[in-house]
Amino acid sequence: MIRSNPIAESDRVPPTGLAVVLVREIAARLATFVATGEAAAIDLRSLPMTDGDRRELETILGQGDVSAILTVAGTSEIWETAISGVWWVRHRSVDGHVASEEIVVAHVPDILTTQPDDARDSLARLRSLIENDGAAVQSLRPLDREFAGQTQGGQ
Amino acid sequence: MTIPSTLGEVLAQQGVSRRALLKYSAYVASILALPAGASRVIAENLAKARRQSVIWLSFQECTGCTESITRSYSPTIEDLIFNLISLDYHHTLMSVSGAAAEHAREAAMRENKGKYIVVVDGSVPVKDGGVYSTIAGQTNLAMLKATAKDALAIVSVGTCAAFGGIPQARPNPTGAVAVSEIITDKPIVNISGCPPIPEAMTGTLAYLLSFGKLPELDHLGRPKAFFGETIHDRCYRRPFYDKGLFAESFDDEGARKGWCLYKVGCKGPIAYNACATLKWNGGTSFPIQSGHGCLGCSEPKFWDQGGFYTPLAAQAGVSGELVGTAAVAGAAMGGAAAWIARRHQRSHLAEVEALDRSPPAKSKG
Ligand code: SF4
Repeated sequence: MIRSNPIAESDRVPPTGLAVVLVREIAARLATFVATGEAAAIDLRSLPMTDGDRRELETILGQGDVSAILTVAGTSEIWETAISGVWWVRHRSVDGHVASEEIVVAHVPDILTTQPDDARDSLARLRSLIENDGAAVQSLRPLDREFAGQTQGGQ
Repeated sequence: MTIPSTLGEVLAQQGVSRRALLKYSAYVASILALPAGASRVIAENLAKARRQSVIWLSFQECTGCTESITRSYSPTIEDLIFNLISLDYHHTLMSVSGAAAEHAREAAMRENKGKYIVVVDGSVPVKDGGVYSTIAGQTNLAMLKATAKDALAIVSVGTCAAFGGIPQARPNPTGAVAVSEIITDKPIVNISGCPPIPEAMTGTLAYLLSFGKLPELDHLGRPKAFFGETIHDRCYRRPFYDKGLFAESFDDEGARKGWCLYKVGCKGPIAYNACATLKWNGGTSFPIQSGHGCLGCSEPKFWDQGGFYTPLAAQAGVSGELVGTAAVAGAAMGGAAAWIARRHQRSHLAEVEALDRSPPAKSKG
């Protein structure tokens, strides 16, 4: 279960205007990205943001078409904002507190793509499964057929 | 099963994916205030690095620093650091004791000569040959010198190891000193605080592993990423300070409204630490958010700086009332109050340094 941080006294401090300044910074990074393809990231946790500032920034940027939940060492919430190419990446620890929070300007945040080392390890695991464990491979077959059937059915 | 040689292989064998390492690296880059893009470099370097041997020596201490670093009951992303280091000696945490524990320390020193990191918590008593604290019949002084000799670097965690801390408070009956007063030929990082913020300890170790060098340090040997700014610089009550709105006591209207705690003794203006941003207990709160002024525990001599509830200005010989008045005027004059506080910060530090230079209070025995 995700536990958000308890309401802090700092919540009572009204937004400081930092969100509006940040939007300009994001616009500058997006301009570079559009012109050159250079991705960028802004670490929100290192800024003296109040929770009010964070909420204001979330409201300004809005919610886009894509959102993803990453379940690795705690849950991470990742969504494209209403500004295409601008993503919000919020990593939570297992106990639910925010471990890091970034605005990423990119086609897709790096962490969402399959990491080459993980793919290599998975291939090794799959091969060892095929070689050493016939029963497990058997259990894969119906799924395989089902998937093939669906694909054919869809054509 | 092949024996893994790199951290990437160690983690893969433990079922920790590269994506998890990337998430951890994003967290490390964030707490170290590195550009967010640095997380990819950290992940790649960590995957290639070797597991780091760490020898942890506990001297004149209360075990609060160890409590702080192991505070978590559930596995969290921060805990990944424990997969990255090999804690070869820590007499509170290791399962063996007595001669077997000391043999483990000696073996780690032999096998990782010139490459191991020594973490020290607690100050070192030097009076009367250092007899006031011993482990396995060895004085802390002798053990520190012997263990540090072939170390790559030393990390002094906690104000006691970094600056002498509470054992060194007047009249300092055991002649307690900081690690840096004994070891002068090795790189030393000071992670002060009573206790230090766990992220400051784990983040510094992660930096060492990722980049193979010490992070940038301030004039007191502390990583600038955590000790580069005062609590006051990042305090959410700062707007009240700038407007001259102060709590005068712990139960008055100002306290209830969350106004600045300067007049009830807050040492935030002279305390360099990251409590206001990283906070404590998984980002839950920090003393000022809980209604108590900062004690300035990450600074040298914090125990001897006068009362915890005496305003800084009063300690520096300037009337606290004067600051209050000046700060109220500051509301109209923009940053004037902040400027006055900075001036007081400087004069207060000068006073503490002058106290330091004066001969220590005589202690008998
Ligand atoms: S004096 Fe203390 S409570 Fe007041 S703004 Fe500074 S750090 Fe915060």
